[in-house]
Amino acid sequence: MGNKISYFFQTLAVIFISAFCFLFLKEVLPKRIFSESQSASKNVVVDSVLLEAVALDEKMDSTAQIALDTFKRKKIVFEQIEGIAFPPEEYEQYKGFQFLIPFFEKLYLLETEQKGDIRIAYFGDSMTDGDLIVQDFRSAMQSKYGGKGVGFVSITSESAGSRSSISHHYSGNWKTQSYLNVKRPLKPFGVNGHVFFANDTLSNPWVNYKAGQGVHTSQLNNPTLFYGNSDNQEGELIVKTGKDTIVKKLSPEKLLNTLAISNTALKSFKASFHKADSIPIYGFNFDDGKGVHVDNFSNRGNSGLPISTFNVKLMNEFQERFDYDLIILHYGTNVLNYGSYNYDWYERSMTRVVNHLKACFPGVTVLVISTADKATKYDLEMKTDSAVIPLTMAQRKYAVQSKAGYFNLFEAMGGDGSMTKWVEEEVPALAAKDYTHFNYKGAQKVAGLLYQQIQTGYTQYKEMRKNRKTVPNQAAVDSVSSKTTPSNVQ
Amino acid sequence: MIPLFNFNQWIDQNIGTITWEQVESWFVFDIQKPLLFNSALFLGLFLVFYFFYILTQKTHRLRIAYVVAFSLFFYYKSSGIFFLLIIFSSVLDYVIAKLIYEEEDNFYRRFYLVVSLVVNLGLLGYFKYTNFFIDNTNLLFDRNFEFQDIILPVGISFYTFQTLSYTIDVYRKELEPTKSFMDFLFFVSFFPQLVAGPIVRASDFIPQIYKRLNLTKEEFNTALFLIIGGLLKKAVISDYISINFVDRVFDAPNSYTSFENLMASYGYAIQIYCDFSGYSDMAIGLALLMGFWLPPNFRTPYQSTSVTEFWRRWHISLSSWLRDYLYISLGGNRKGKFRTYVNLFLTMLLGGLWHGASWKFVFWGVLHGLALAVERYFGMFIKLPKNYFVRTIQVFLTFHFVAFCWLFFRAKDFHTAFEIMFNIGEMTFNPQQWLIIAQGYQNVFLLIAIGFIWHFLPNNIIKLLQKGFDATPLVGKAIVLAFVYWIVYATASAGPQPFIYFQF
Repeated sequence: MGNKISYFFQTLAVIFISAFCFLFLKEVLPKRIFSESQSASKNVVVDSVLLEAVALDEKMDSTAQIALDTFKRKKIVFEQIEGIAFPPEEYEQYKGFQFLIPFFEKLYLLETEQKGDIRIAYFGDSMTDGDLIVQDFRSAMQSKYGGKGVGFVSITSESAGSRSSISHHYSGNWKTQSYLNVKRPLKPFGVNGHVFFANDTLSNPWVNYKAGQGVHTSQLNNPTLFYGNSDNQEGELIVKTGKDTIVKKLSPEKLLNTLAISNTALKSFKASFHKADSIPIYGFNFDDGKGVHVDNFSNRGNSGLPISTFNVKLMNEFQERFDYDLIILHYGTNVLNYGSYNYDWYERSMTRVVNHLKACFPGVTVLVISTADKATKYDLEMKTDSAVIPLTMAQRKYAVQSKAGYFNLFEAMGGDGSMTKWVEEEVPALAAKDYTHFNYKGAQKVAGLLYQQIQTGYTQYKEMRKNRKTVPNQAAVDSVSSKTTPSNVQ
Repeated sequence: MIPLFNFNQWIDQNIGTITWEQVESWFVFDIQKPLLFNSALFLGLFLVFYFFYILTQKTHRLRIAYVVAFSLFFYYKSSGIFFLLIIFSSVLDYVIAKLIYEEEDNFYRRFYLVVSLVVNLGLLGYFKYTNFFIDNTNLLFDRNFEFQDIILPVGISFYTFQTLSYTIDVYRKELEPTKSFMDFLFFVSFFPQLVAGPIVRASDFIPQIYKRLNLTKEEFNTALFLIIGGLLKKAVISDYISINFVDRVFDAPNSYTSFENLMASYGYAIQIYCDFSGYSDMAIGLALLMGFWLPPNFRTPYQSTSVTEFWRRWHISLSSWLRDYLYISLGGNRKGKFRTYVNLFLTMLLGGLWHGASWKFVFWGVLHGLALAVERYFGMFIKLPKNYFVRTIQVFLTFHFVAFCWLFFRAKDFHTAFEIMFNIGEMTFNPQQWLIIAQGYQNVFLLIAIGFIWHFLPNNIIKLLQKGFDATPLVGKAIVLAFVYWIVYATASAGPQPFIYFQF
């Protein structure tokens, strides 16, 4: 038969039959070949506090969680602080500048009278890995308000290699404990959520820093070691700068101790720890004491929840040294894929986190950054993951509840479908092909958007400050209320 | 008889309700969605197209006009209004070739050729290299000219070389011009090879236009076999490993371990081969189904024992084009030893630049050019024994040289390429870590492995597979094809793998 019918017709038949068979196979066979499940290896970072919170949530009665969002469609009215109250905000457009007033005021004093300095702690997940976003934000702030130095840097970091604001190397024999997966550390975690030990007696654990390329971070300003309390009185720090070697004694007497390595700025140095076992080492700080300084505390896989394990006493000590004015919480990516769109558990836990932060760092203001857009494949198209909007709502809710500012990064990126655009349409591309992480260019843009929102609030603040009539006697303690005063605002 | 509403219901269930917008989207240009061979839309369009193609197979003019119309539509789907540019280039080259053919005076013949070269290369240069030129001018003379907003018409690099081969062959009196403009436009716009090659020589293709259309059993089988292989290489291996692994590492190499950097380099080597050769195979297969023979474009290039051999097996239609029209025009090996080396080197340098408007492509070309020159030079003195052992080492070294050069081809700039090199340089022997990474990326690594195993499979086994396929009855072939569509579909609908955070 094959010889009689022209092969052109046979071709047509093959294509036709194959097309119909395909429609059939598509229904019968699985929709996806390659599963997205990750192998559970101890080398894959997973936030254990998050896993616990999720497990706990699953146990809870889910019917109790469908309480409607009482904030919706109600204006949020602010009470005056120091005679200033930002205009009421639609819940949907909530930015919460009111809660950043202490920060704005200090920024104002810095800008107008060159008084004081500003310190910002930027907590994040893999989005801020390698100082992405934070380095651009830091640079924008330092260009405008002065200040030099990269801030606080850990001893080891999983993303040290990709960091360009400081070149950072370290030996492989550090004992590292992270708040991501250690519940009871040998000594409390530092402000970076880590504690390091130089327990190797055979060869001294070391860390090597070299100034990066940034305009304001081209030197290691006033390098200072931060370490904690221990009985070990023998520990020594051996610092090599160029050809000079200095040996300094560690005296871990207080809960938090510092050791200045140089009172000038260095280009690079290597610090080795001799006989320093059991002394908790936290990291080095680099700042010139003027202007604005931004610390990047990024952690791959972090949901934000581990912050609740911070030790209040030690953090009070850190606050004593650094006097943080603003804490930025940039999380969300790692809570997107947990099957449920109900984020009540996250909202509750993060409200606790913010309250805990306020206890750890008295007087600090908090700014919550929502999750960025993230795309997932639906059928054959990359679209905004359906968990993104529920999560941004939960993040906004906990920001309102805990009296924190809020930056809706998802909306700022362009809202629905923006990650797909950032990956596929923007030239050059702004995000990576996992449709989750920004690249260098995208990070610059995100930092710009964040800086812009802070500037908007600050400009508004200055305007109101100029026009304020009464000099306040006492700052209002409770500064949030809603026209209908929802019962769960406290 | 099956009542009609049942059929509608079936369509509803299996294809979904078709809206007017959807129908419109099938026929309107969308820069985000070029018409690729490995898409369901192309399958549908080709099925309808082919039905009428068979009906017109006995005619000449009607068939030619029909294919031209479909080809231009195909091009419009990927490049929008630029289909007019193809028509313009074709009119010009058709007229000039005719003039050259009819002209006896050598001066004028030469003059016409120069006009053709200037216009064709001028258009290519304008669309492809304007911003590169501006960038370099700004850098060299410290100026600040603004970049132009130029969209590169899809496939312009390919069809420009095709039309040039036509004009030059006519000039060299090796080819008679086509009998009509439509025939020429048919050659230039022939959709299977229009956007990504192979670069078909006028002298190979044009004679086929005037032959009676025919499709033999062997051709039919080969075509289907090529299409199946092409689909698997392009739409499964290449697409999956690029989006889920290779692209990410090349985006931010420092965020990954040394081993991941190394695997991404190997991954890219197999990705670019699968992508390019897979698409070529589909083009050759489709053309064959339409009764046209296109030259083979790849012959398992990573099996080459030298860079010289590599270029006889990689993108053959381009390298032979460069040899015949650039290297030989420069004088080839007829002007002394020194000039031969210079010509080799220049050919590779310009060949590099053809791949993209950036110095990294030039550098990539230069590396290959140097390798060719070195091999040519030492080949005169050193004769290696021919045995399995030597051959294996040669293949290993050649592959690694080629993979190394790909770093510059793929990385977005020199800086990134060097980062990857340094990262790989810092690798330590740590099989435990490698195993964990391989487990994390098991799908990707599996596909990379399949790609390489397939590539190094002995020819006999491929032939055996082909024989088995040939012997399968028609319906069986259709089912195999359908199964391959499903693999493509199920790969494409797998979302990107989430980022894996390793800590060591």
